Amino acid sequence: MKEYTLLACLSVIITILLDRISGMNVLRRRMFYLFFAIILCFKFFVNGYLTSWIVMYNPRQFLGYRIGTIPLEDFLFGFSMVTMSIIFWEYFKQKQ
Amino acid sequence: MSAYMYVLIISGIIPVLASFWPPLRFYRNIKALLYSITLIVILFWLWDVFAIYRGHWWFNPAGVWQARIFNMPVEEGLFFVVIPFCCIFTWEAVNYLGRKRS
Repeated sequence: MKEYTLLACLSVIITILLDRISGMNVLRRRMFYLFFAIILCFKFFVNGYLTSWIVMYNPRQFLGYRIGTIPLEDFLFGFSMVTMSIIFWEYFKQKQ
Repeated sequence: MSAYMYVLIISGIIPVLASFWPPLRFYRNIKALLYSITLIVILFWLWDVFAIYRGHWWFNPAGVWQARIFNMPVEEGLFFVVIPFCCIFTWEAVNYLGRKRS
């Protein structure tokens, strides 16, 4: 079983649920997609460089597809981390 | 200095400096920033430590320091502080510029 693939997919589902349940609905805001496109540009440099020679992936735990040097699963991991950061931020900002 | 540490510094330097730009009023929400990053650190350190333990990924010793936190290279641990900060900064900047235009 490809554990990284499984965890990455699971994290996306949790992120989407968290966005709905928390009521922040950042995924429904148009600005989010502009923001995400900007982050994606930076991701290609940062993640691309890291995955080119610093971080090594176990071929048995991910699908093996890469965009440039970046494993497909890293895009899901990145989506979850970035989106959760914004959900938490919006949530705590609103509470303050 | 390790290559990974350079990546973190280069990623974080502009957002950190620009967050002092007064119109963004980033400092008003310093608590929200701390809480958000703390939650990300908890969740993603758990994931990372598990992934390293299960051998999903590992690190080229030539690119990181030898220092470890919970078996993670220190740089990998800091990644989950620096990158969420960059994201939240970018989010605020995009929303600020969006509001200004409309």
